[in-house]
Amino acid sequence: MNPALSARGVGFGYGDRDILRGVSVDLFPGEVTILLGPNGAGKSTLIRILSGILAPREGEVRLCGRPPGEFRRREMARLLSVVGQDPPVDFPMTVAAYVGLGRFPHQGFFGGTSPEDRAEVERAMERTELTGLRDRSLSEISAGERQRAAVARAIAQGARVMLLDEPTAFLDIRHRVAFYEIVTQLKETCGIAALVASHDLSLCAEYGERIVLLSGGTVAAQGRPEEVLTPENVRTAYGVAVACDRNPATGAIRVTPLRGMPTKQ
Amino acid sequence: MTGGGKKSGVVFPVLAAALLGALALSAATGPVPISPRAAFDAIFRGTDDTAARVLLSLRLPRALLGALVGGALASSGVAFQALLRNPLADPYILGVSGGAAVGALTVALFLSADASPLLPLCAFGGAALSALAVFLLARRLRSVSPERLILMGVVVGAFLNAIIMLMVTLAPPGKIPGALYWLMGDLGLGTPRRVAVLFPYVALGTVLLYLLSRGLDLLLLGDHAAFQAGLSVERVKTATYLTASLLAGSVVAVSGLIGFVGLIVPHGARVLVGSGHRRLLPAAFLLGGAFLVLSDTLARAASPAGELPVGAVTALAGAPFFLYLLRRNGGRS
Repeated sequence: MNPALSARGVGFGYGDRDILRGVSVDLFPGEVTILLGPNGAGKSTLIRILSGILAPREGEVRLCGRPPGEFRRREMARLLSVVGQDPPVDFPMTVAAYVGLGRFPHQGFFGGTSPEDRAEVERAMERTELTGLRDRSLSEISAGERQRAAVARAIAQGARVMLLDEPTAFLDIRHRVAFYEIVTQLKETCGIAALVASHDLSLCAEYGERIVLLSGGTVAAQGRPEEVLTPENVRTAYGVAVACDRNPATGAIRVTPLRGMPTKQ
Repeated sequence: MTGGGKKSGVVFPVLAAALLGALALSAATGPVPISPRAAFDAIFRGTDDTAARVLLSLRLPRALLGALVGGALASSGVAFQALLRNPLADPYILGVSGGAAVGALTVALFLSADASPLLPLCAFGGAALSALAVFLLARRLRSVSPERLILMGVVVGAFLNAIIMLMVTLAPPGKIPGALYWLMGDLGLGTPRRVAVLFPYVALGTVLLYLLSRGLDLLLLGDHAAFQAGLSVERVKTATYLTASLLAGSVVAVSGLIGFVGLIVPHGARVLVGSGHRRLLPAAFLLGGAFLVLSDTLARAASPAGELPVGAVTALAGAPFFLYLLRRNGGRS
């Protein structure tokens, strides 16, 4: 099967400071890939490169086999949606209006909102449990609710490939689980390919088909959760001693930090 | 869908009525009393007496000019605010008006006669250049902070003011008083001809902005998110920046420096209809028109000899409001 989105030997940096070196990642339809790595490992930069905001210094990116630069903006947005770490919106905007902006690539630039747009927006808000907040202003809701609204906007965009940069950072455990359930549903029903950057090692192992562990700008390990989430890999990347075992209830890898001062990376 | 509630059905009729009311009040205010009956006769029956002449050649053109100027300034303010993702942006504060004034003065003082159609174009050039200068100076590490933007606007504005003073000093003596009065922001020059000069620019500018409104909505998300949502960010930003400069520039060319309309009015309009630009732009235009016509009526009522420029009234109302917004915004971030 061809990857929906792939990076081959991608390198990036500012000046003589390297941020990414030789990163290769494939995202396949119907698969959730988790992007792990310590703060500053280059996760957000990789997502910006994959979404076409930054051009890689070396290597290449292919979305459905074509380089991002070849796409018209809206054509690309119909294939690829992103939840980034964006600055807050400083203007009064309702949740429904915000989620509705996700429909832009399906509308004419001058055109209006179709019944289908409305239905997709409603469905995305239902999925993320935001229907009750639809008329609230973004500035009035909590950080976690704003994060769910960003996910809803990406879902409303209806793309087959989703890149999500720490979409669960502000979420409580219920909404974290709900988030991964939504992504799993989208994977199973729509066959999306998703890349989720996260710091949630155990939840990732439950829901991710594959894990990419980024450390110091390179891929330290890549593969199935049980291949990547080993005490050695975690210690090398994060400098933390952990125990890895199987969760008796689900059979998935479980990562438990052990006490003791983390070592320098 | 991009709006702020269900009250929208009432908002536009009310705003339109406010603008019409302001126009009527403006036409009724002045040293020569004009009864509603006389006004009706003058407009629809073509009577030709003093009241009719005052109404048709002085007051109505002036009121219409006020509506165009206020609407254009408010629309331009909305556009600059979306462009810079900052509710404190305004053509006056960003030094755009100063640049437009330098452009317009170059024509008015040193080149051709008054109200030449070239005037708004040169003001547009000046506006675009100064907006670009402020933006580039405020940019550091590829991002623009509101504080730096306002600071650079003040610096560039002060520099442009110095140039304006220099130009006025060097101007042919006969043209100096007129230029000074114009600079303070005044609608007294509202001859029908000036309305006619301004109208095409305002019509073009507001229609272009309206066509860009979906793009402006997306710009509020930030450049990266707007790009990822499918917007050609650079193209929309360039078009917005040029259109907003055209609006601000052409207005300055005709009516001088009138501050704070582009700041207060978008804020008020957002409270009424939300941030969706399809509704915000028309609402801001109507509200801006009504606000400026009322300010001008107030200025004329306060000084029957007509010495108080409308720019003074808008600044009196606007400066405290700006401080309030600045405080509130600073408290949040």
